[in-house]
Amino acid sequence: MKKPPTLPITKVVNRVEKAVGRRDSVLARKSIRDSLVSLAGLIGCPVRNEDGREIGRLVDVVVRHGEDAYPPVSGLIVKVGQRQSFIDGARIATLTHNEIRLSSTTINLTDYKRRQGESLLDSDVLDHQIVDVNGLRVVRSSDLYLAPLDKEIRVVGVDISFVTFLRRIFPGALGRRATPQHVLDWSTVASLADTSGVVKTSGSKTALSQLRPADLADLIEDLAGREQSALIEMLDPELAADALEEMEDEELQGLLRGLTEDRAAELLSRMEPDESAEVLRDLADEHREDILKAMDAKLAKQLRQLISFDETLAGGIMTTHMVIAREDDTVAQALQMLVESRDRDISDGVVMVDSKGKLIDHIQIIELVAAKASASLSTLIGPPYPTAVNIDSPLEEVIEEFSNNRGASIVVIDEKGKPVGRILADDLVDALKPGEQQGLSKGSGALQ
Amino acid sequence: MGPGVIAGLSDDDPAGITTYSQVGAKFGYQLLWVLVISTVALILFQDLGARIGVVTRQGLIGLVRQKYGARSGTLSAVALLVANFGTLTAEFAGIAAAGQLFGYSRFITVPLAAFVVSFLVLRGSFARVEKVFFALSAVFIAYVVAGFMAHPDWGKALHGVVVPTMPFNHDAIYIATATLGTTLAPWGLAFIQSYAVDKRLTRDDLKLLRVDVWTGSLLTGIIGFFVIVTCAATLNKDGQKNITDAAQAAQALVPLAGTLAKALFAIGLVGAALLAASILPLSTAYSVGDLTGQPAALDDGPKDAPLFYATFGLMTFLAAGLILLPGIPLIRVLVLTQILNAVLLLPLLFFMYGISKDIRLMGEFASTRRMRIVYGAIISLVSICVIALLWFTVHP
Repeated sequence: MKKPPTLPITKVVNRVEKAVGRRDSVLARKSIRDSLVSLAGLIGCPVRNEDGREIGRLVDVVVRHGEDAYPPVSGLIVKVGQRQSFIDGARIATLTHNEIRLSSTTINLTDYKRRQGESLLDSDVLDHQIVDVNGLRVVRSSDLYLAPLDKEIRVVGVDISFVTFLRRIFPGALGRRATPQHVLDWSTVASLADTSGVVKTSGSKTALSQLRPADLADLIEDLAGREQSALIEMLDPELAADALEEMEDEELQGLLRGLTEDRAAELLSRMEPDESAEVLRDLADEHREDILKAMDAKLAKQLRQLISFDETLAGGIMTTHMVIAREDDTVAQALQMLVESRDRDISDGVVMVDSKGKLIDHIQIIELVAAKASASLSTLIGPPYPTAVNIDSPLEEVIEEFSNNRGASIVVIDEKGKPVGRILADDLVDALKPGEQQGLSKGSGALQ
Repeated sequence: MGPGVIAGLSDDDPAGITTYSQVGAKFGYQLLWVLVISTVALILFQDLGARIGVVTRQGLIGLVRQKYGARSGTLSAVALLVANFGTLTAEFAGIAAAGQLFGYSRFITVPLAAFVVSFLVLRGSFARVEKVFFALSAVFIAYVVAGFMAHPDWGKALHGVVVPTMPFNHDAIYIATATLGTTLAPWGLAFIQSYAVDKRLTRDDLKLLRVDVWTGSLLTGIIGFFVIVTCAATLNKDGQKNITDAAQAAQALVPLAGTLAKALFAIGLVGAALLAASILPLSTAYSVGDLTGQPAALDDGPKDAPLFYATFGLMTFLAAGLILLPGIPLIRVLVLTQILNAVLLLPLLFFMYGISKDIRLMGEFASTRRMRIVYGAIISLVSICVIALLWFTVHP
């Protein structure tokens, strides 16, 4: 992935605004820029009460993810004597680059327990991988910047520059001051901190939803394990399914292993059936069954059938998505069916069957549009008749039929002549793609 | 041919062969057990590196930064950088030594090698010539034959493998530490992990990768074993106990190759040195990028990854330049850099150990209690060697 050059902060902000389509990036405000506090520098600083007496030293800062684009600080973890205690965020009076003042003299110290939807900035986010949504890459955060905003102290930006990282090596005040170099607005990054499965509705989600599935697939493949699952959890299931379709099978199987059965089932149900069947086919039997059991029973049955077909036969590469209409349906009904199924897939027409369910013809959308809405579909029967192959036709025959009829798809029928699926040109391309490279020196890696 | 075998054969680089020759020449069969332990350590830690890379899909240095913070991340990157720079210097020393066997001045051979390696790697044609280097360095398998032809005392060899004894003096500790450092080289650990990350190897590839790692590591150990045995049966027996130049080391191959011994030795040196000198700067530049959070590789142009290319260029330039300094003792440089390896290995092994037991990072692949004890034992052994060496250096 390309690394954009480091720009001065104002330019970065402009770029961010352009990309996200928002003019209100908080980093553009001078008052915010002047009050940025470095999180990395703050760790280890004294926490004082109202009278200025030191209570303890800062260990970590807890933030709450929720509706806000900039998560507010919900509390502090402070080392008091030998014990680590939690101090509620509402008690913070001032927070500067070298100390924190609390608003009362008596402080209620409690033990901290991780709560849903919260993450610890030092141990979960700093130096960890984050997704830079605009730059389409996975980077590490060198520092996080806090600033007062809407009456609360919030995380507003992430510094990803190497210079800032190196600054932190130095001891004392030198290592503590904020050095905004290459700062990304918090709402344009996706932190992969584990917040125990809470679906975040913060800015990062909206920013992520603007990505193309193929770009998202690349980002997902750059990650592994916990971080990978976290990113998937953050996505809208529909978008996640689209991205998953773009991934290599082997990669996808690894990813499914890291997700719960329910989540895996949800995503696979939203993918093209032939694509999900292909992935499921290579999973371990037990794992596959668990996922299928978590699915809608009807879809699971369909997938089971697809999985059972050999990949070198028509049944193994077809998709079961198609719109079937009866010969006595009207043109208007057929069009309505196409419109209703548009979320699932884009069909180029309807497959027409007789009263027994046998294939008669395939009617192109253009024919439907040109015909009278009240006309019966049977009036449209005529050449060119659709090419059909049997469910157990070998791949060679499918190719043969494709090259003879030059269409965008062919229909697959079972032994009784009923249509069971279609093979689209892109399914054929997938089937013909030379086998995935085996062995350790595969892929596009360029280390050597 | 996978990364494990590449790393394995590159481990039998000029520094490795020289160190093993020194072991055999000076101490005969006595220190064979040090090699056995080093090989076991190599297998275990290479295997761990492969596992960490596949499971976390992050490079070693990046992971250290994430888990241990900015200072530890930088420390590990600097340790790796210095160790790799030392080893790269040793590769050029090997080229210089091989050239001298044929009567070519190092002022010609070393700059030429540096240029050829950089050109091939940066042009992206390394993958094609890699096999040539590989074949050249495989010449060292000749030591296996040479070992048998030298009629070694197999009884003593077996004794040396099984019974760990050593004279407690500076020379013995020195060469034992170098053996550890050259076998379990820091660069190999980082390389295997970044390879798995860069090629996006998945858990399904892990089995294959482990076979590759074990093969490569065993190959290193076997060649090392026969180098020591051959040198013990020839040089050590003939009273040639201190190797000061490559010609003396090549003498060990005389029973096999006769007058061609020097040529054979030189070809092996050049092949292994070029192989390692190509991968070393590349792997180091990758690790430096890993520290910044943006691991770069050859896919990125110099404009996008200035740090990657700067590290690559500077390392090659300085390492080659160092060997051109007048009066530099090549054989001593070769062994000394491996001592440096052993010292700098310590923080890296410690961090790898910490990562291996982190359930959040490694999940079901986290190390078991039994494995942690073994890792701990290896780390302690390296520490003892380094501390003992330090003690002997301060109190000669």
